[in-house]
Amino acid sequence: MRLFSTLILGGAAAVAFVASPASATGVISCKAGPVSGWKSQEVLTAKLTKEGWTIRKSKVDGGCYEVYGTTPEGDRVEAYFHPVTLEKLYVGRRGEVLFRKAGY
Amino acid sequence: MMFGYWSGEVIAMDILRPTGEWSARLMIFAMILSPLVSLLGPRPWLNWLVQRRRALGVAAFAYAVLHLIFYLIDMGNLDDMLAEFWALGIWTGWAAMLLFVPLAITSNDASMRALKVGWKRLQRLVYPTAVLVLVHWIFIHNNLGPALVHFIPLMLLVAARFFLSPKTQTKGA
Repeated sequence: MRLFSTLILGGAAAVAFVASPASATGVISCKAGPVSGWKSQEVLTAKLTKEGWTIRKSKVDGGCYEVYGTTPEGDRVEAYFHPVTLEKLYVGRRGEVLFRKAGY
Repeated sequence: MMFGYWSGEVIAMDILRPTGEWSARLMIFAMILSPLVSLLGPRPWLNWLVQRRRALGVAAFAYAVLHLIFYLIDMGNLDDMLAEFWALGIWTGWAAMLLFVPLAITSNDASMRALKVGWKRLQRLVYPTAVLVLVHWIFIHNNLGPALVHFIPLMLLVAARFFLSPKTQTKGA
């Protein structure tokens, strides 16, 4: 009987899990329009490098450019930039938000 | 993946995820064997796996060590590691690693003989370790899905074993 109820509970948990929508991975999302209007990641990387950043990796996340690197101040961070304006939207490290643009 | 790393195509950061996931998978695999024996009774294939359970645990530890090494390489300096240490997704990883060490270094016949009954009690540290790993996994990505996909089967099996009366267990044998 207990085994039966465990299986029922397990089944219910599985259904609830599958039914719940997958959450977005990004902390920030940009509604930046079609990709054709975006500046390239290379342009962003070049701009940031010139400003004193060290970029380890960059990718698209939540419709924004997400960058892993070190700020000119020497903080190891994850940062988000708008793909059209290249504006800085968010800078944070694990467990701490260092900067967040109002409205994002 | 390792070839990619040596050739520079893959950076340390990209190796964190697969090493961590494989460590957790191997740990979970080692942990579900006892509940499976309780529920299904002795089966040849289960016995075969149970006899190799210690190796599974050590393999999980080996992947955890790799995971830590690539974390150290990725972060590169102490200041940045300390800056994020108290993030829920980070200190739980360190704590799990800390608990993993005595489990791994006693995973040999000599330790089993020396510790006698205490060995089993010591190895039960894997349960708090598993909880820490689960919290680490959820909060490193701030995402429940992948961590729960791995841990729900383990939780159900451990719960089923716990709630099943001994009578039911022997009936299944």
